[in-house]
Amino acid sequence: MQLPPFDYRHPGSLDEALGLLDDQSLPVAGGSDLLVNMKLGLVQPRRLVSLARLPGFSDWHFEPGKGLCIGAGCRLTDLADARHIIENYPALAAAIRAVGSQHVRNVGTLGGNLCLPTRCWFTNQSEQWRTSRSPCFKTDGELCHVIKSSARCHALNSSDTAPALIALGASIELRRRGGERALPLADFYADDGVDFMQLEPGEVLTEIRVPPPAGQAVYIKVAQRQGLDYAAATIAAWSHAGRVRLVVGSVGSCPMQLSRAAAIVESQGFTDDAIDAAAKAARVDLGEVSNLFTPPAYKRRLVRGLVKKALRQLASAGSPP
Amino acid sequence: MSKRQIELSVNGDRYVLTVPVHATLLEVLRDQVGLTGTKRGCTSGACGVCTVQREDAAAVLSCLSLAVDWDGKSVTTIEGLASPDGLHPLQEAFLELGAVQCGYCTPGLVMTAKALLDRSEAPNDAAINEALAGTLCRCTGHIKVKHAIRAAIQRTLETRDRDGTTG
Repeated sequence: MQLPPFDYRHPGSLDEALGLLDDQSLPVAGGSDLLVNMKLGLVQPRRLVSLARLPGFSDWHFEPGKGLCIGAGCRLTDLADARHIIENYPALAAAIRAVGSQHVRNVGTLGGNLCLPTRCWFTNQSEQWRTSRSPCFKTDGELCHVIKSSARCHALNSSDTAPALIALGASIELRRRGGERALPLADFYADDGVDFMQLEPGEVLTEIRVPPPAGQAVYIKVAQRQGLDYAAATIAAWSHAGRVRLVVGSVGSCPMQLSRAAAIVESQGFTDDAIDAAAKAARVDLGEVSNLFTPPAYKRRLVRGLVKKALRQLASAGSPP
Repeated sequence: MSKRQIELSVNGDRYVLTVPVHATLLEVLRDQVGLTGTKRGCTSGACGVCTVQREDAAAVLSCLSLAVDWDGKSVTTIEGLASPDGLHPLQEAFLELGAVQCGYCTPGLVMTAKALLDRSEAPNDAAINEALAGTLCRCTGHIKVKHAIRAAIQRTLETRDRDGTTG
């Protein structure tokens, strides 16, 4: 597969980059996902704006009291290998290491993984493959091939890092021409395969902030292959001072918070009964599960098992509420 | 189709090339520089046969890298491994232990292993597995490849001990 022609710019400052981004342009950092999608014809930007040379965009630091400030352009390998992150944010390090392969993590960035487009067995194929069926919501059509009766796109959000960062309470900073805003990462996503993130045209994710380490957190990814595979499901669990957050990834069009399940262990503690009840309640939190890549029944069972496993790991890691 | 001039060092040799803006490093290495050891596989980051080494020794996929982003930089390809004294220890080990089936993925496997060895002196099995996860042998598997990588590590360590150098 070859890339179609495009204009390519390398701005030296964020303001210059934001000025170059219009509705026919896309920002690019590592490119490990975007270039594949361009080869597949899924996106056809007239211009790419490289963020690779922006000052500070690929730096991260820790501030006591504030926590981790990670430039969106930080390479996944650099973050996964950072001793400070491995020691103080082991669940985050595990989630970062779960992305793609070393080859991909050597160029791919954290911001890129958070903005990873949703995927589906129909759309993420060659243009020729897609012509075999009528266009779907994601390809400017009016139907979903995955759930025929659905009024929306069910493409899957496969970001491995988003569930971990949401569980840790991360927030993000977005910049656009003449404006900036910060929001909790959890609010960045929406359960819709087409409009899966609240990123306006011309807006760029610039920074990820993770609060100072508190309590315990675990992360588990299940995939058919251990390396270089999208997850069947991921789970991140966090607990501190009586509060619990459970977030699953790769089971819907956005990372999903299992709030009913978390509330059960928050109120009853990490007993075997409470963990079993939480795992059952996760079924309600999940809602409708699509038959994307794996059957819905398998996914529900998988999530039930992952909730149990994650909560048991949290309990044995200490300081349960 | 817009083109740009880039200056690229390939295995220590300097090239000044006029490349299409949308050309990948893989296409430029094979079609313009004429080094076809770097293979074209899935072209979508799933198989690792196009692996080359960046300046910081990291393994990267040349099929997912734009050539213009390499302006002023250096890349090492499979052709750059052997020295006038002979093959690289990894290449020797792959040959001796028969870690080859059809051979198409071999350059990518060797470059992946070299990146691993360049960045850690004696990687354990878990580290070898993690590195090889980004590569795909379409014929058979990674068993003999792992044997060869372990043999190359062993040999490198023995050579260092014997010569009394620390590399």
